Amino acid sequence: MKQRIVTTLGAILLASGGFAGQNSTPTTPDGSIAALFPMGEEFEFTPPIPGSYRLSNIKPAPDGAVLTPTGTKRDLSDLLDGKVSLVSFVYLMCGDVNGCPLAVSTLFDIYDSSQSAPDLADNVQLVTISFDPDRDTVEAIDSFAYPITNDATADKKIGWHILTTEDQAALKPILDGFGQVVDRSDDPDKLNHLLRMFLVDRDGKIRNIYGLGLIDPRLMMTDVETLLIEDGTL
Amino acid sequence: MKRRQFGALATAALVMGGPLRALADETCQSPYMPKITGHEEYVYIWTLGVEGMGDGQDKMVTVDLRPGSETRGQVINSLSIGGRNEAHHAGFSADRRYLWAGGLDTNRIFIFDVHSDPANPVLHKTIDTFVKDADGPVGPHTFFALPGRMMITALSNDDDHGGRTALVEYTDEGDFVETHWMPTAENMRGAEAVDGAVADGFGYDVRALIRKNVMLTSSFTGWSNYMMDFGQMLGDSEAMKRFGSTIVQWDLHTRQPKKVFNVPGAPLEIRFPWGPNANYAFSTTALTSQLWLIHEDDAGEWQAKAVADIGDPTKIPLPVDISLAADDQTLWINTFLDGMTRLFDVSDPHHPKQIYEKKIASQVNMVSQSWDGNRIYFTSSLLANWDKKGADDQQYLKAFTWNGSELVPDFELDFYELQLGRAHLMRFGSSELYSA
Repeated sequence: MKQRIVTTLGAILLASGGFAGQNSTPTTPDGSIAALFPMGEEFEFTPPIPGSYRLSNIKPAPDGAVLTPTGTKRDLSDLLDGKVSLVSFVYLMCGDVNGCPLAVSTLFDIYDSSQSAPDLADNVQLVTISFDPDRDTVEAIDSFAYPITNDATADKKIGWHILTTEDQAALKPILDGFGQVVDRSDDPDKLNHLLRMFLVDRDGKIRNIYGLGLIDPRLMMTDVETLLIEDGTL
Repeated sequence: MKRRQFGALATAALVMGGPLRALADETCQSPYMPKITGHEEYVYIWTLGVEGMGDGQDKMVTVDLRPGSETRGQVINSLSIGGRNEAHHAGFSADRRYLWAGGLDTNRIFIFDVHSDPANPVLHKTIDTFVKDADGPVGPHTFFALPGRMMITALSNDDDHGGRTALVEYTDEGDFVETHWMPTAENMRGAEAVDGAVADGFGYDVRALIRKNVMLTSSFTGWSNYMMDFGQMLGDSEAMKRFGSTIVQWDLHTRQPKKVFNVPGAPLEIRFPWGPNANYAFSTTALTSQLWLIHEDDAGEWQAKAVADIGDPTKIPLPVDISLAADDQTLWINTFLDGMTRLFDVSDPHHPKQIYEKKIASQVNMVSQSWDGNRIYFTSSLLANWDKKGADDQQYLKAFTWNGSELVPDFELDFYELQLGRAHLMRFGSSELYSA
């Protein structure tokens, strides 16, 4: 697959000047998946060469019952099994530009750009779980997921599971297992949280944790590529 | 859907609430952590027990700093942890819910819950297996928060109790993740020695500049020295050779060492500025009494150079803790042996100038400042066997206000009079951090 990805990226970069070419500074190793993304102003470094380092085995990702946009109950472990996953926690009413919107816009960038490396679809996925099940009902996440579930080019992109849970009790072991902190007050509109995204490998192990200052698609996709090299896919 | 579309969606649904964020040595915390940019409510002081004094145990002491509080300036909680461990440094987890505190002698790590009731921390968990977990490092020192993880510098090793050591990562839950040994001359681990630097493998502090993907570590000395009587060590020429002389630049993301700089005289604390274009860090050397700048040059390469003397280096005043203001313009530097604090104008980091000095006590170690720089706190203890003897062994918390030209006394607590012990590291707390 590596050769195919490199060929595809090479064609894109030649045809368009490349996403990375939007910035005059070399930002990513040639031919890497991360080269799909420009360097953000807040990330003034070149990502490492994929596979030149090893990601720690931090802890196992937790299991738990989740609901899909169609209301189907699934085990989170089944959804995570077999693919490299970028797992994020958001709530749909979040209005902080450095919170959920930042996470979701980064995920959309990764989702949209993945069609430039279509072979990723068999190996990589996005998983977004609401930590506000009271308001983020099945209907709400179905509406939110509309641009994805009705994307005519979805088959060329990586999968994206938008999920919620039945209630707080179902959510708690998932939040606790990942270590996603959410402070709830008497005001249901206020959900203070630390922005976190998690890289989970095919075996369900958390291999990296990203917070504010690390939500860089180049860095995350470099880690994804490193895992694909580690497991022999690339 | 691109950023613009999602932005419109989010704006339409705009409500209050968002990530836990800055609401203060507050100025020198991990950049991944929520900051107290208002008034600190409490100061937690990791305190060494003294045999025959009170219960003799190490303890986490909480002092009330709330404006208008009837107990402001008083100890409102003292949590003993059951023994003496050479209590030293401590650091919050990235979510600032837990305060990790280490014992340099016993290698035990105590994790305090500070979020459930910030006025009354409780012991949440104790890690007794640090040396075994990490396969050899001894002396857990700096606790530097990463998202979901704690990066711990060690000072020594269980092989020869010298200075060769490692960085050790744990999960926020207190489970061991990985050990990263410091580069040595025999095993550089891919790092480059700059200008003939000899990688000693020693450790002390760790700090990171996320925006540049740069992590720096400094180098002190091993268990055989930090547990030795200070006077005896000074007279032992072989012991005095066993101090670190390097700062290592790491790739923060991959944890790979990139460069080893020659910084003679035991570089200790490392502080990065906060400014968006500030690509440098300060450190001070204990034995040579110099202020060092580790900086990115015009070619994008990181370099290290001495930029100022601290006091009279020939008198070895022993620089210890430092605190950089949130606006990156000034730097407080304490020197232990003369009990002085000095304020440097570091607005030109390449040419710092001392602009103020004051004797705090017979000895001084730690300094912490509020985010606005108006409140400065000092504590006294360095190491149990390095603190002064007799009447010069003053142990305290002293609070001052900085009015722009001088330190004005606010309140002070005598930790011996209170039967508490030796006051060491300070960290600020606030209930504001945990309210939605």
